[in-house]
Amino acid sequence: MTSYQSTLAEGEGIAEELAEAQRSISIAEFFEKNRQMLGFDSGARALVTAVKEAVDNALDATEESSILPDIYVEIQENDDYYRLIVEDNGPGITKEQIPKIFGKLLYGSRFHAREQNRGQQGIGISAAVLYSQLTSGKPAKITSRTKGSADAKYFELTIDTDSNEPEIEGEDTTSWDRPHGTRIELEMEANMRARNQLHDYIKHTAVVNPHARLELREPQEHFKFERATDQLPEETEEIRPHPHGVELGTLQKMLDATDSYSVSGFLQEEFTRVGGKTADKVIDNFRDRHFGREMAWSAPATHEDADIESAVSDAVANKGAEATAEFAASIAAEIDDAGSVTHSRVQGIVETVAEGVEEAYATTFGSTVREKAAAAAWGAVSDERTGDIYALVDEATTDRKDDAHVQGLAERVATKFEDEENPHDRLTRDQVEDYVDRAADATEEYDEATFGETAREKVVDAIWGQMSTIPDEPPNITAIDDDRDTASELHEAMRETDIIAPPTDCLSPISDGLVLEGLKKEFDADFYAASTRDASVHGGDPFIVEAGIAYGGDLEESSSADVMRFANRVPLVYQRGACSITDVVKTINWRNYKLDQPGGSGIPNGPAVIMVHVASTNVPFTSESKDAVANVPEIEDEVERAIREAARDLKSYLKKRRSMEKRRRKQDKLATILPEMAEKLQEVTGKGELNIDDSLARIMNNVLVDREHENGTVRLIVENNDDTNASLEITDIVSEDPGEVDGANVVEMDGEYFVKWTPEVKAGTEASIEYRVDGDATFDVQVEGIEDEKLTINA
Amino acid sequence: MSTDSDTQSEADAREQLIDLAAEFYDQFAGGEVPTMSIPTRTKSNIEYDEEMDVWVYGDRESTRSAKTVSGAQKLLKATYVIDFLAQQLEEDRSSTLRELYYLSESFDHEEAQFNSQDESNQLIEDLEIVSDVRREEFHMRPEESGATVMGPLLIREQTRRGEREIHCQEDVGEGGYQIPNNPDTIEFLDNDADFVLCVETGGMRDRLVENGFDEDHNALIVHLKGQPARATRRLTKRLRDELGLPVTVFTDGDPWSYRIYGSVAYGSIKSAHLSEYLATPDAQFIGIQPADIVEYDLPTDPLSDSDVNALESELEDPRFQTDYWREQIELQLDIEKKAEQQSLAARGLDFVTDTYLPERLDAMDVI
Repeated sequence: MTSYQSTLAEGEGIAEELAEAQRSISIAEFFEKNRQMLGFDSGARALVTAVKEAVDNALDATEESSILPDIYVEIQENDDYYRLIVEDNGPGITKEQIPKIFGKLLYGSRFHAREQNRGQQGIGISAAVLYSQLTSGKPAKITSRTKGSADAKYFELTIDTDSNEPEIEGEDTTSWDRPHGTRIELEMEANMRARNQLHDYIKHTAVVNPHARLELREPQEHFKFERATDQLPEETEEIRPHPHGVELGTLQKMLDATDSYSVSGFLQEEFTRVGGKTADKVIDNFRDRHFGREMAWSAPATHEDADIESAVSDAVANKGAEATAEFAASIAAEIDDAGSVTHSRVQGIVETVAEGVEEAYATTFGSTVREKAAAAAWGAVSDERTGDIYALVDEATTDRKDDAHVQGLAERVATKFEDEENPHDRLTRDQVEDYVDRAADATEEYDEATFGETAREKVVDAIWGQMSTIPDEPPNITAIDDDRDTASELHEAMRETDIIAPPTDCLSPISDGLVLEGLKKEFDADFYAASTRDASVHGGDPFIVEAGIAYGGDLEESSSADVMRFANRVPLVYQRGACSITDVVKTINWRNYKLDQPGGSGIPNGPAVIMVHVASTNVPFTSESKDAVANVPEIEDEVERAIREAARDLKSYLKKRRSMEKRRRKQDKLATILPEMAEKLQEVTGKGELNIDDSLARIMNNVLVDREHENGTVRLIVENNDDTNASLEITDIVSEDPGEVDGANVVEMDGEYFVKWTPEVKAGTEASIEYRVDGDATFDVQVEGIEDEKLTINA
Repeated sequence: MSTDSDTQSEADAREQLIDLAAEFYDQFAGGEVPTMSIPTRTKSNIEYDEEMDVWVYGDRESTRSAKTVSGAQKLLKATYVIDFLAQQLEEDRSSTLRELYYLSESFDHEEAQFNSQDESNQLIEDLEIVSDVRREEFHMRPEESGATVMGPLLIREQTRRGEREIHCQEDVGEGGYQIPNNPDTIEFLDNDADFVLCVETGGMRDRLVENGFDEDHNALIVHLKGQPARATRRLTKRLRDELGLPVTVFTDGDPWSYRIYGSVAYGSIKSAHLSEYLATPDAQFIGIQPADIVEYDLPTDPLSDSDVNALESELEDPRFQTDYWREQIELQLDIEKKAEQQSLAARGLDFVTDTYLPERLDAMDVI
């Protein structure tokens, strides 16, 4: 691909430019000035940030080589300093790569690539190296072993703060038990006050990376997070930019760099999701902006003065009477047929008719004649404009408008078209607006009419709708590149055209299935829900939002729900309040979803975890430290939809759970009351023992499975007392051979007979099967397809 | 009333109760949901029975069903109470409604215990209706009876200590003859009475006795003690039916007192199933009428909000749908005043016996 896009990252990339600009000051100074921006503002925070950057790098390194990540993080207390060790099982790095990756601040191959990746700005790990160097004065110690090599390489690395260049101080060969991978050891001034955030970070990373094995050993605790799946995330593809996503400046650069000659070629070559048809649409919109549109007028009616036929006849000389008459009549007829025509259309008609007549009469209708004829026909067509405008204005305005006022406005607009400079009635939309505004102002002033904003807009829309795109060739790329205004017209046209969303293979969502796995792995809850939205676009960058909810179980009951935020699989643990994900969670009315939410807004209460993952080629963060997602409306909308989708499942679960709880409570109560009543009734009446199971089943709207066994005939009866239908799977395990059973399958296993019956029992009805067994058969019946609370087995 | 028939009715009552229990038993045995249907006991579900001349329950029924927890609790309690009553009848003992309430505390199942006495009272009424046996036949007594009769009447009462003959003027003190809980144990032997005068308040009853009104006018003075107990109403009805005495009711002049008259004359909403047995449809209202307040210019109190509500509710009460009552109630709403019986004392202590009652009774054609 010889596009500008591919060169962005390599040569004259913005990263380099930025780095260039930074070189004027010391890199240490730059770092000091931007500490908080980079996430190193306090000792507590710095440790978390360093872990985060190292782990993110490690995950990316392993995944890029299709290796299931196995990452070990250790934090040691070392006198005045903390020592951070992060090991991965990635492909390892060569000596040449090491300084690049670990040393140079702002280095990053993916800065601006349109691909989803964790370390978007490539600023993180080098900042950690620099922080460690600045606070402890010690070099970063790096061990790396590439696959297949016998030994590991050991380096000590520092950054020259004057030149922003990495320097390898010590270099050695060492042995390492990992077959391949990288280990980095940093010593830094830090503290463990942010222990919770550190744990959160690791735990949350484990949730969204169910394919990774993580281990954290810190001075007080030791955690291991095992894999839940062996499925690596989909590999992501780099994509060309989407037409909706480029800024004017970028577009200009692309125009400058492209090899394409035509706009159509440029659009199809340089952008994703643009084929011939879409390019045509963009170009039409571009034409409308660049040339304006042409007004179409209806052919003069018989009562009007103008007459196309005679006008054309008069304009043609020396072509023979018959040919001239045929020529004029055909043009008039074609225009009549067309209903209303633009100047271009008139020209087209004249051309076609001229060809035909030439052939029929063997007379030449040269370009001069054609031009004259076209001018004459157009003159006749555009002779009377008020009628057409009147019809448009009348249609566009309400019935209540006074007819005289409509007429007044129409006349004034029509007059504006009689511009010598603009014989073909070509106008941009702005000009149409101007015409209508001026005409409306005048009508208001002289006729005492009122034409409000809406009425004017409608009239403009009507006129613009009546006008047609001018079929002229659009300017070529060089012309557009030379003129900022034209480029801007193309930019607007691209924005305006409906174009399908960018492809999503540049994104790697976790997928709702693995979101569930991740949640199940780390939270022992009663209920899990997940949703993955379809990809959307913000500023030309595709993104996907996923949400997950875990509820109940061992989750903490008394506090507010835990909100976990992720961007490109990286947990966001700081600046919760500044993040638009948190904002969205707070604005949702959780009471709708059966969660407690004091005051009807804010984070809901209860034993719940709400996770949101935003995956994008460019996640908009509020700052370089990448702690909070910025308030981008398109993303917020999708976050809300994703959460609501998962929350809907939660709602039905909670509803069901509550109704089951209610049912259970009722059942418990009745199950104590009614037997007591039965016992008393036996006492009072002196009658025999009562079996109240059937009554109980009826009372509980239960599904009742009953057995009648008499003289070797067994009848299994299902009675559905509920008000919904029941699809059941009933297995009757019989000790004797029941033979063939009508309506059920019989399978023999180890001397037992499994009578499988799957009845569909409608509300309030019953179903039964019957079979014969010899001797003293024993039975064991199992019923599936219904909640235990709703089932009574009396068989 | 002989001992034989007494035993008979007790045996019947017991039989009826056990039949009811057997009905529940059979519902269970048939796999059905045990239920008990009872007429809805509200103002909107009472209607006039032209034949009996009393107000009885209409067709609307409410169902206690074991389908709901509260329904099941009611049925359980009913079963326990049936058991208790059956035993009580077997042992020929009796108990009061309040005793039943406390007794439920001893029921071995917590769900069978009553939460309030209203609940146990109501259950007894339910059982009366469903089993068609009166509470008295279950040997259930209200807490306080104590209503009294004073006047020229000779009776014989069946007591636990044998038969007693009592003359309700000569054999009793100032307090009069105390009506027993089951007045059907009384036999009327002889009387010189011309009419029955039911009096709401104790103060007025004592005034009439002190002034010798019973002797002067051959009146049987029945003290209602506020809202009359069933026994008082039953006795009143028997005096009317068996002795043919006209019955008159003398109460305060306020909406609550009209209801006292209403329950004597038409029966109460709560016990409309017994109207036939308790109500005295041709009982007449003496006063205090709202018209009397105006006519005798009695000292009054202003109507409170709840008085006004009660009056308005009486205007909709089917039992008060007569021209007389509508007129009186509307008059009272108009003058916005009420008066007590004793307010007649403003005209002197003898005014009630010398002037008011004779005038009213004369106007009513009683004397």
